[in-house]
Amino acid sequence: MKVNRRKLLSLLGMSPALLAGSRAEAEQKKKSAQSGAGSEPKSTAVSPKGTPPAIQLYSMAPRANSLDGKTIYVVDATSFLGSETLLKKMQVWFQQNMPGVKTVFRKKAGVYAADDPKLWAEIKANAYATVMAIGH
Amino acid sequence: MGVPAVPMCTKAYTELANLTAAREGMPHLRQVFTPHPVGGKTDEELAAYLVNPDPVSRKQIMKEIVDDLTMPLSEDEKKTGMQSIAAGPATYGPDTADNLQEIFMNNGMTDYMPIVISTEEKVEAMLKGTSHHPDEVLRTPLQGVGYTSARWGYTVRQIAVNAVMAGCRPEFFPVVLAMASVGPLGLFGSTTSSSSAIVINGPIRDKLNMNYGLGALSPFAQSNATIGRSWTLMGKNLTNGGIPGDTYQGGQGNQLDYNNCVIAEDEKNSPWTPLHVQFGFKPEENVVSIFDGPDIRQGHGARGAGAQIAMFDEQISFMFQSMVGGDGALVICDPLVANRLVEQGYDTKEKLSDWLWKNTVRTAKDFRESFLASFHLYPLALQGREPYATWYKVPEDTLIPFFPSVTDINFVVCGGQANAFFQVANMRHGRSASIDKWM
Repeated sequence: MKVNRRKLLSLLGMSPALLAGSRAEAEQKKKSAQSGAGSEPKSTAVSPKGTPPAIQLYSMAPRANSLDGKTIYVVDATSFLGSETLLKKMQVWFQQNMPGVKTVFRKKAGVYAADDPKLWAEIKANAYATVMAIGH
Repeated sequence: MGVPAVPMCTKAYTELANLTAAREGMPHLRQVFTPHPVGGKTDEELAAYLVNPDPVSRKQIMKEIVDDLTMPLSEDEKKTGMQSIAAGPATYGPDTADNLQEIFMNNGMTDYMPIVISTEEKVEAMLKGTSHHPDEVLRTPLQGVGYTSARWGYTVRQIAVNAVMAGCRPEFFPVVLAMASVGPLGLFGSTTSSSSAIVINGPIRDKLNMNYGLGALSPFAQSNATIGRSWTLMGKNLTNGGIPGDTYQGGQGNQLDYNNCVIAEDEKNSPWTPLHVQFGFKPEENVVSIFDGPDIRQGHGARGAGAQIAMFDEQISFMFQSMVGGDGALVICDPLVANRLVEQGYDTKEKLSDWLWKNTVRTAKDFRESFLASFHLYPLALQGREPYATWYKVPEDTLIPFFPSVTDINFVVCGGQANAFFQVANMRHGRSASIDKWM
């Protein structure tokens, strides 16, 4: 997958705000050099930024070599228009191209940002994996 | 969850999906993207999506899904532990005022209008507007599921910096702190371009010279203007909101975001109970109430607005019918309108809310086909939440209220009595907070 500069910095632990900060420092040096005249009064400005949370990194779940004989839950997580149809087409694709794979369709309960621990427990108990449509 | 998972969304949200995965602790999450949009496509077009290339990775989508579920994990994909992130430098400068303006603007920390430079002296002066300690934490940084704006933390001092930038005076600061205490803050970020309205009640309105008379919603008072502006600056800076394509997804944006429609209620000329008293506060208390939603529209476009004798109840009901969704309404009445409504028999706001709730109706079919119903309310119906569960069970032609509850309809009074006009905000009440607590 193509990773752009902004995302790369983000993955290194730099929020867009920090990216802005780095750019700001470089820009500040350039501006100061351009203005040249040291006669203008100068001041220091306090940053308006809040405090970001630390991030807990999680390992992805181990993968099997093959999907043969496995169950995959296809989950409509947001109920946006068309998402159910798309996932049901995916079930058809598995039936036609990988008949050894069993698929189960489910809708996540609640609005799009709501958790659904009951469904997650069902998937963990019954499935090898899940494909989750999260919009739009 | 502990099982292999592949999230799938449309190309329009590539950056948001990648940044969200990184913030949630899986920066290398295997994700699949379809063309945008999914909604409105035929069955055949959606089936074709699956066998055509992922517009981001260029791999055939179903092959990519199978690979993502079976390829061994890389070392990066197995990483655990804590990763800290920073918010940038604590200070900028020393530099000239013009250069600092530009640095703040170019780095997304302003609303692209000039700010008051947040020098240490000005921040200290702002902090004198409250008895609270500068290091008091209003919100602790929180890692977890939810909107980004709900996760960043902030202190009294950090809020003061934003209040300075917005142009607030120290005496306005308790209002700003009360607003920050009920976050998430401005620039909500929804694709609906929703914004906010901020209602202020209590004696502090006069102490701060707030305008609730002629031109109450226009830029004619420093307090109205800068308190509203601080809400957006806080959303941008304290919570990392307002980054287009990342934490902000509003399709067309919203002009209300510049000021967030600060409304000081004219309690003296209103014939009704003030809004904060309706919410359980005492009349002498100072209270801020936040409303959220997509827009505010002028009521003089309502059906019947040119009639010889104005029937404002019917006009307001007509305006409700044109709203997106039916989450809630805030009706902003000039005192002339409020007093005419009293003449019509509505001597309390509650009586008017009740009439509007019962008489603003639509068919169940219209509700089910409305913008928010399918993805916002239908999932609640599936959980058995009322009234949505019933509204999805009744026959299509059943008439149902436009709003779920009578309490979703609220009224405030302000205006200069120049003409009998009202405005209707397609907004619901979110939170209210005491201002006195922050003095």
